[in-house]
Amino acid sequence: MNKITRRAMLASTTGLIAAPRLARAQAVKPRLTVISQWSAGSDGAAITALGKKFEEKGGTWQHSPVPGFTTEMMNKLRAQIMAGDPPACSQLKGPEIAAWSKIAATVNLDALVAAAGYEKVVAPDLARLHKPGGKWISLPLQIYSTNMLFLSKRAMDKAKADRIPVTWAEFNALAENMKAGGVTYPIANGGTRPDDGQKFEAALAGISPAAYRAAMMTLDEKALKGPEVKAAFAQARRIADWMDPNTAAQHYSVNLPRFVAGDMGMMIQGGWAQGVLLNAGFKLDDFIIAPGPCDNGKPVFLLNADAFIFWQRKEPDLQAGQTLMAQLVMDPAIQTMYSQITGSIPVRTDVDLSGAGWSDGQRRTAAALKEAVAANQAVLSLAHNMAQENGMTAAIIDVLTEYVKNKAMTPDQGVARLSNAVEGAR
Amino acid sequence: MPAAARTDRRRPAVAAVRRLPEFLTIWVPLLLSAGHLISFALWTIWVSFTPSTLVPVSGWVGLRNYTAMVATRNWQIAFDNLLVFGSGFVLLSVLMGLLLAILLDQRIRGENVFRSIFLYPLAVSFVVTGTVWSWLLNPGIGIQKLVNGLGWTSFRFDWLIDREMAIWTIVIAAIWQSSGFAMALFLAGLRSVDPDLIKAAQIDGAGPIRMYRRVILPTLWPITVTVVVIQLQFAITTFDLVRALTGGGPGTATQLPALVVYDFMFQRGLLARGAAAAVLMLLILLAVLLPYAAWRYLQRRQSAHA
Repeated sequence: MNKITRRAMLASTTGLIAAPRLARAQAVKPRLTVISQWSAGSDGAAITALGKKFEEKGGTWQHSPVPGFTTEMMNKLRAQIMAGDPPACSQLKGPEIAAWSKIAATVNLDALVAAAGYEKVVAPDLARLHKPGGKWISLPLQIYSTNMLFLSKRAMDKAKADRIPVTWAEFNALAENMKAGGVTYPIANGGTRPDDGQKFEAALAGISPAAYRAAMMTLDEKALKGPEVKAAFAQARRIADWMDPNTAAQHYSVNLPRFVAGDMGMMIQGGWAQGVLLNAGFKLDDFIIAPGPCDNGKPVFLLNADAFIFWQRKEPDLQAGQTLMAQLVMDPAIQTMYSQITGSIPVRTDVDLSGAGWSDGQRRTAAALKEAVAANQAVLSLAHNMAQENGMTAAIIDVLTEYVKNKAMTPDQGVARLSNAVEGAR
Repeated sequence: MPAAARTDRRRPAVAAVRRLPEFLTIWVPLLLSAGHLISFALWTIWVSFTPSTLVPVSGWVGLRNYTAMVATRNWQIAFDNLLVFGSGFVLLSVLMGLLLAILLDQRIRGENVFRSIFLYPLAVSFVVTGTVWSWLLNPGIGIQKLVNGLGWTSFRFDWLIDREMAIWTIVIAAIWQSSGFAMALFLAGLRSVDPDLIKAAQIDGAGPIRMYRRVILPTLWPITVTVVVIQLQFAITTFDLVRALTGGGPGTATQLPALVVYDFMFQRGLLARGAAAAVLMLLILLAVLLPYAAWRYLQRRQSAHA
């Protein structure tokens, strides 16, 4: 008879207790804590869809959005980092990636990027932003251009125009024609600070991409006081005079109904405005999307790219979640899904945009990016915190927003204030 | 005799124990809040002398942050706006509160209803006030459009988008919000005037206006000072009203110190500069409160000697 000895009982009990831990170590369920600013609208829908894909692959998705501008999300991020509990993954972009990576430890993604072959399909200017210090620590997810030209079909009819303006001279002529044809305000605008910054950076980048690079990205003193910057201020004044002065501090989306109805003619906005227009119930054939004007004929692309950065965590389930998230972000199918919801274009240059679900505007944007990269005219947007860190950007936009709102300020004064602001914030 | 001596010795201790709940209720929260306030104020003062940007770091940079902050246009505009807004708001809200209190003091029917109506704006949050007033004052959708639509087509009320006048829109919204508070205090003061004084003035043949001017209002002087001090400290720390109403104004025309502090500390990632601005705000507040404290101290000494 087999007696169950006490020793056997002890041994088997210990084995039973150890077994679940062994099983867990072999199959950790990936978990991810994420914070971002995308709480609503098309952005919120896109990140929710990304979360669903994460859960389909067997992970637990814990996303805490912080509504508002990117800076509100950064406040929460800073608080969590200082408390020693950073999220496993957070949204971040531009030079802030380099700045924030100095205050907390990040995950080295070189191995994952090499395995997916991601570096080959990302524009070099963009890649440099996401690997400060030579190692990949963040992954870009979607690209917007901040100087897309939106034209209202009905306003174009009023102006009896059928050509999309390519240079600033043509743009100015079209605006005059619109005004003469009965369009109350040729430019539809919002009153927020990034909006005012966008007007100036579109003007400067269109007048001379090289001057934009020197002045806004490198902060070269001579370029900041040069003739191109003065001409950009003059063009920005023309644009400001064509805008509705009653907009005050409102978001540009309050003017969308008048834009579509033909009471306002054009918008210089980022590609995200397509998502906002569709969300508001308007149709794609109510408006035309084209690259912003550029005086040398080839498109200039003002890059605005959102990215995810991964913060070091010790927990194995969070680490597994980070690996899964990185693989998802680099996946062309996921980038396709994400960009189709938000109206951006994927970071990967090898994604085919000819299928259904992509709009003409997105196709034009992607073609513009290709041409701009080839002509070395893909530059980083200042108004959307890509070219400089937040402190410098805010100092410059102080000058730009005052200039746009104060009709009495001359371009010379604008140039002087701009170089003072840059010197003061250096 | 021994029993009396025993109770004598025990009485202080028993009395102290009996008053323990009062001590705890008053002193514990008081010490906690004072400690909280003072420790964070000291921490902010320390940060303002360090080279902190994104996160606080230790180091010493002397007065560099202060000189840099005072040299920025944002701070200079904010300080000028503070002078305009502070004096305009305090003066007008005192006058408005006094006027409403005098009108309510006339023993009218339904006084309670009116008092509630005038006090109600205090219950609304500043963000709501700012948002709704931003719609009302917007020339394209608010009061100007209404009056133009009624027929006065040359009526202009576009202060909201005018760089020179935008600060006055904030004064308007702030007065709407807190005149009720001034009114409540003044009403209490008016009601507590000695009725014999009023009767004597009536016997002497004083009309209502002269009675108010010569008899009643002078007795309201201490309450006026209280109202002025409270409204001033509110004016100096205004943040959410401006943020909701103009977002900093056309361009940067309605910047105020509290907005500058928040902007530099959290939106620009320049903690030390923002902390320097916050300490400057504290100094401005002290410049208001210390004379008041000194005046009260002198008053007490005078009344002690008198």
